[in-house]
Order: sequence, then C-alpha cells, then structure tokens
Amino acid sequence: MKYTVDGSLCTGHGRCYTVAPTVYAPDDEGYNLRRGDSVEVSPGQDGDARRGARVCPERAIELAE
Amino acid sequence: METDRFGRDIETDFDIDDPAFNEHFYDVLDTMVARCPVAHSKVGKGYSLLNRYEDVRRAGQDWRTFSSAKGFQPNRPEGMPYLYPEESDPPRHTDWRRALNPFFAPNAVKEFEGQIRADANDLIDAFADRGTCEFIHDFAAQLPGRAFFKNLIGVPVDDLAMLVEAMDAGTYGPVEERAASFGRAIDYLGDFLARRRDEPPRGDLVDLIAGGVEHDGEPCSWEERVSVITDLTFGGIATTTFVMAGALLHLATHPKDRETLVREPSRIPNAVEEFVRYYPPVVALGRTVTKDVEIAGHRFEEGDFVLLNYAAASRDPDALDRPAELDINRESILHTAFGVGPHRCIGSNLARLELRVVLEEFLRRIPDFALKEDTTPEYETGVLRTMTSLHLVFPGGRTEGDAR
Ligand code: HEM
Ligand code: SF4
Repeated sequence: MKYTVDGSLCTGHGRCYTVAPTVYAPDDEGYNLRRGDSVEVSPGQDGDARRGARVCPERAIELAE
Repeated sequence: METDRFGRDIETDFDIDDPAFNEHFYDVLDTMVARCPVAHSKVGKGYSLLNRYEDVRRAGQDWRTFSSAKGFQPNRPEGMPYLYPEESDPPRHTDWRRALNPFFAPNAVKEFEGQIRADANDLIDAFADRGTCEFIHDFAAQLPGRAFFKNLIGVPVDDLAMLVEAMDAGTYGPVEERAASFGRAIDYLGDFLARRRDEPPRGDLVDLIAGGVEHDGEPCSWEERVSVITDLTFGGIATTTFVMAGALLHLATHPKDRETLVREPSRIPNAVEEFVRYYPPVVALGRTVTKDVEIAGHRFEEGDFVLLNYAAASRDPDALDRPAELDINRESILHTAFGVGPHRCIGSNLARLELRVVLEEFLRRIPDFALKEDTTPEYETGVLRTMTSLHLVFPGGRTEGDAR
C-alpha cells in the first residue's frame, strides 16, 4: 500500500501522526513530514495508515494499493 | 414541521444569537445536519449556513470562492477593525501564518508544559480543601489566559480579567456595543505592543509581531500588527475554557469515564480530541462568496455571507459513527472543531496541550467529583459557545450543605 499527502491540502492538524505515529510523522511546523510525496507503507501497517488517513479533517491523505 | 419546533423555522429563519439555539444546541445542530444541508437566516442582511462535513470542508478549503477578508461574523458591527490572520485571505494570510506557525508548532508548545502544569496546580490549590468550586470562574476562565500570557506574549496576568471581560462582551454582548467592547481590548494590546517595540528585542513572538511581516516587499501597517496580537489573544483566551468545562461536566456526570481516565491517564489525549469535538467553542464562522457557486444543492451569489457550521459538521453521521454520543474511547475521531482549510486553528496544539495537562492534574488531585446538587451548568452561544457556570463538589473539606 502507498499513501500520498496532498501538499496543498495538509494544513497541519496533526491528527494523522497522533493516531498513527508508526506511519506518519510531523515536520518542524506540525505538517505531515511527507507533504507532496508518495510513500510506501511498511508491511503490516496498512491498518494504521488507513486510520490516520480517516481522521484527517482535510482529506489530504490518499491511499492506493 | 421538524425544523420549526424551536420557536422559528431553523431552515429558513435561523438566528445564531437566539436563546433557543443556546438552549437546544445539540438538537438544533443534529436537526440541521439531518434535514438542511443549507439553512438560511433573515437577521440583518441575512446569511446562510453550511451544515454537513463534506460541504464545510469544500468551502473551507476553497478560500478563493469563500473569502475571509470581509470578516467572520454575520452582520459585522460597524467600525470593528479586522482581525488578522483570521479575517484575511492568501497571500496576506500566508505571510502571517508562515511567520507565526513556528511559535505554535507541536514541538514549540511542548516547552510550556511545566509552566501550564504549575499554573493548573496553583488554581486547584485555591479550592482543593474547600470541597467545592465554581469551575469556570475558579479555573477554566483563568488557565488558558495564563498559559497564553505567560508562555507566549508576557502580558501581566493581572490584566487577564479585564481582557476576558472585554472580549466576552465583544462576542456575546448587545450587538451595538460589541465594537466598543472589543475596542477596549485592542487599545490595551496596542499599547502593550508599542511598549515592547521600544524595548530591546527578546527574539520572541511579540518581537516578531511588533516587527511585522512584508506583503509584496512592503512592510505591513502598525494597525495590522496590533490586529494580529489581538486575534491571537482572542483565540487564546476565548475558546479552550469551554472545552475544559465540557470535559469536567462530562466526567462529573459519567463516573465510569472518570474512573477510566484516573486509572489510565494515557487515554487522556484521545478523550481530549473527543471533548473538543463534542464541546465546540467555535460554533460557526463566516465567509463571503466571491463568485456565483453551487454547493450543497444551493446556488450562492457573489456577496452572499455563509457560515461554516463547524459544530454541526463535527456531528455528521457521514463523517463519524454515532456522532451524538460522547465516547472517550472512540477510535476514529474526525471533526472540524479546529476549522478546515488554511485558517486551521493556529492554537490547536497549544489547546490540546492545555487540555491534556489540565485533565491529568485535576484527575490526579481530585479523582472523585460530581455536579453540585440543584445546579445546572449555564451556557452562552453565538458564533462562539461557552459555559458561564459549573458548580462541582468533591470530598475533602466537604460540608453538610454540599451533599451529593
Ligand atoms: C479548543 C480550543 C480552540 C478551538 C476549538 C479553536 C477553534 C478555531 C477555529 C474553528 C478556527 C478557524 C477559524 C476560521 O475558519 O476562520 C480557529 C482559528 C484561530 N485560532 Fe483557534 N481554537 C482554539 C484555541 C486557540 C488558541 C489556544 C489560540 C491561540 C493561542 C487560537 C488562535 C486562533 C487564531 C489566531 C486563529 C486564526 C487562524 C487563521 O485565520 O489562520 N485558538 N480556531
Ligand atoms: S491530519 Fe491531515 S492536515 Fe493534519 S498533518 Fe496529517 S495530513 Fe496534514
């Protein structure tokens, strides 16, 4: 599974990395560290990736198989 | 009809300042989410509300069509100066947020944890032996102001009461007096900022604001800088109080949840997020439509004023299961209490920190408390919502009269 963070939508709510710290991390200002990137989710962490994406108020995280 | 059992038809004739909204808050919000994706008001120049999560998100993110530059209040009082960054659009908004954000990042606010914990304990010390407190006055109205003043701007804590009073009156007071009440806070903060401008720099947030930002290579005006410190102070003291009060009310009336958090403080951060969702201090803030657009099946025209009903969107069953239930153990908490789009609350990390520390300390010091008999909490609601009294009793110096 891959996740992509839309850099124009992420406003730094911090919900993703709070709920799923194994998958998502903050940058210095509290935005998702991988804004604008497409990132491979480590094996076994699909559930966390989904949970983090689901609580993003901006719907900034897109998941793809 | 389902939408007019509140003394007026909330779909076509809503009034956010109507005491009936204050009284039937959740019922009105849930009815709006279920029955009216868009509601309308005839008050003053009139305004509309978007009530569902997806629509609120779309409008909040689309700042070009839904502009903040003409203010967040419906029927904005004459003579009220604009509050930045709140009442501005990019690029002016971005210039300020870029400069301010680092002071409010999760890692930056973490530094304040010890001071906030000490202040929480100070305030608890004053009533712990008494066995009773009026939580708003004794605690919740004071802690956020102290946290903001001491850690971020260094305004004397003694002046807090005056500022809280002026900003409350500017929000909930008689409409024709709101501009003047707010003006008192602006004058005070303007004087404070001017004094700091003339002192040697300390490299802090106040220096940054006093120095201003540039728009297109031109330094911004002095008024704009005063407006920024006012907006931050307003956000810093007028909001978190309500979540704190809501959390304590819930825990006073739900012993099982209270016991869970006393036993397992590691569950507090999740509970905090649910309290923020369920007790939204910011009910709905407005945008001005800049071009004709259709949203939620309604055609809006240029110049229309639309409120993003954040409080309703946080109770949308399409975004969250069982939204009417406060569940501190909820797994996926999706809400818009901190807004959505570029105006996302700049203080959200500070607010979460304050709420976590307050619950940790209160539950550690006073693990067993209840609502005082024959009292009911009182609320006040407009575009913001707050609680004005919450009487709690607990063992300790409890006297006969405080029986539960
Ligand atoms: C639980 C507490 C809080 C809640 C629920 C809350 C809620 C909100 C919301 C919904 C917005 C969006 C405004 C819009 O859409 O136009 C906002 C913006 C803002 N908040 Fe908060 N807030 C809280 C605490 C704070 C604190 C502690 C501060 C200051 C330290 C603060 C300062 C601000 C400022 C300055 C803005 C404007 C940001 C901008 O326009 O870019 N808030 N807040
Ligand atoms: S929850 Fe969404 S907006 Fe917030 S940091 Fe994560 S990706 Fe960005």
